[in-house]
Amino acid sequence: MNKSWKILAIGILACVLVIALTPYLWILLTSFKGRLDILSPDPRWFFTPTFSNYPEVFLGKDYLPLVLNSLIISISSTVLSIGIGVPAAYVFARTDFAGKEDLFFFFLTTRMAPPISIAVPLFMFFTALGLTDTIYAVVIAHTSFNLSLVVWMMRGFFAEIPREIDEAAMMDGRSKLGAFVRVVVPMAAPGMAATAVLCFILSWNEFLYAFILVAFEGRPLTVGIPGLITPHGTLWGQVAAVAVVATLPILVFTFLVQKHLVRGLTFGAVKG
Amino acid sequence: MGVSFREVTKKFPDGTKALDRLNLEFDQGEFIVLLGPSGSGKTTACRLLAGLETSSEGRIEIDGKDITHLPPRMRGIGMVFQNYALYSHKSVFENIAYPLRIRKVGKADIESRVGAIAELLQIGSYLHRKPAQLSGGQAQRVAVARALVWEPTICVMDEPLSNLDALLRLHMRTELNRLYRRLGKTFVFVTHDQEEAMTLATRIAVLKDGKLVQFDEPRTIYREPANRFVAEFMGRPAMNTIEGTVTDGIFRAGNIACPVERPDGPVTLGIRPEQVELVEAGSEGAITLAVDVRELIEPDTLLIFQTGAGAFTVRTQKNCDHIEVGQPVGLRFPREALHYFDASTGERLR
Repeated sequence: MNKSWKILAIGILACVLVIALTPYLWILLTSFKGRLDILSPDPRWFFTPTFSNYPEVFLGKDYLPLVLNSLIISISSTVLSIGIGVPAAYVFARTDFAGKEDLFFFFLTTRMAPPISIAVPLFMFFTALGLTDTIYAVVIAHTSFNLSLVVWMMRGFFAEIPREIDEAAMMDGRSKLGAFVRVVVPMAAPGMAATAVLCFILSWNEFLYAFILVAFEGRPLTVGIPGLITPHGTLWGQVAAVAVVATLPILVFTFLVQKHLVRGLTFGAVKG
Repeated sequence: MGVSFREVTKKFPDGTKALDRLNLEFDQGEFIVLLGPSGSGKTTACRLLAGLETSSEGRIEIDGKDITHLPPRMRGIGMVFQNYALYSHKSVFENIAYPLRIRKVGKADIESRVGAIAELLQIGSYLHRKPAQLSGGQAQRVAVARALVWEPTICVMDEPLSNLDALLRLHMRTELNRLYRRLGKTFVFVTHDQEEAMTLATRIAVLKDGKLVQFDEPRTIYREPANRFVAEFMGRPAMNTIEGTVTDGIFRAGNIACPVERPDGPVTLGIRPEQVELVEAGSEGAITLAVDVRELIEPDTLLIFQTGAGAFTVRTQKNCDHIEVGQPVGLRFPREALHYFDASTGERLR
């Protein structure tokens, strides 16, 4: 009985893995395929690899700066979200003030509307500020949705640290701010790392806002991909090459922090 | 020179009055225990002294200096928390060294001071460990070491022994006693455990509903409780208090009657369970009652009676093996063991 359950579990896991990994594997293979192999009517698992797709898109079409743009946007919006969201979450976790839970709920509601529904207002907003087609617009837009995530998750992490820790630090000689910066934040570091990675991933993967707000200057990788759909057909090999490069940081980060990520998501969500 | 609370009131935003015009004064070098049931305001008083709460009204002074509005770090007070509050990401050494590092003490000095306090508290061999690898007793010692290492003038402890198991609690209590005698610092210790209070304190401040009920040496608190509340709170089992009436020098309540030196009128009579004398049923001047429950707490025995005016407990070291439930027993109340409390206010009558 026990053994057959185990076999069943492994079977299900195998199915999930195949479903999840096949598209990725297909993209990876496609990025090394020539045009003929890609467009062949029967799927080809074995072919003569070509390495031309990568240099063609990143050097020939000048997509390399887009990687830099993606990095700048993701890192800046992550730093901003953490920088603003962490102190806010700490206040939510530690102090009582009138309308606290309402305000906290308001932070959550900013993520409830489907992104497309605020895309146009957001565009008009940035036009009024004269920021459209700049990298700043994307950074601010991404910070706006990551901020609520940071407040939401970090509140849970701070709530897990007993209030007495802050008080002990104050008795040991720290000011209130000193206790937060020097003692509480270092203790919440694993949670903060997980939250930061999540912010980075969400920002890195984001397409819609970036697509609406920037056309040329400051385009991230995600916005670059549609540019490979040409009137003469889609350049699948190059799309695949960009997709592979675009997923690399996500893979690395997720492997690095997967343990904290699961913990952060569940604790933040349930206890927040 | 010492610590004084002057008319200190603390109201919380939700309207609860945790402290109500507390007046309390004690000298440096004393071991003061704040004792009371939960909600009596003892923890609030200690947090006000430490600076973790601010008072709504009144002043707190240390050595004549008004510290009411000073932040905790400027009060010269070390504190031990009930849940230890150790920094989990730092080693034991770094936990203890932390107050010194904040004060920018030199490296060599830190080494020697942490070493000395660790030796005093017998935690020298755990200094490299992380707090998660410590037992409750060890963690508590680290917390005490951290509070004392920078030599504050006052050490405040908020129920530091409550999270320890019974045996360890007794052990740590003795250790604290030894530490106090050795260091001679001022200790302010919060507890709801009257035994801890009795053993540790030079003076006990009994609080109830945010008010100071009695502030005296443990012996006085036990022997001359200021009112019925203190009388019933101190001592285990609690003092017997019987509400009755005196007529012609005889106190009567239920099936109890005993001669007293009181004017006529209603009064509450108190006598500690351990001061009741057990005699043969029907002896002269004794009250005869039937045993309701017999509890053995070696080497003592508790005999509980029903008087018609509430339960009545006797604690005796005599051999009670022959006493059966339902058997009548004679009880004698020595005159010097009797306490009288005002029937309406509960205040001690002299």
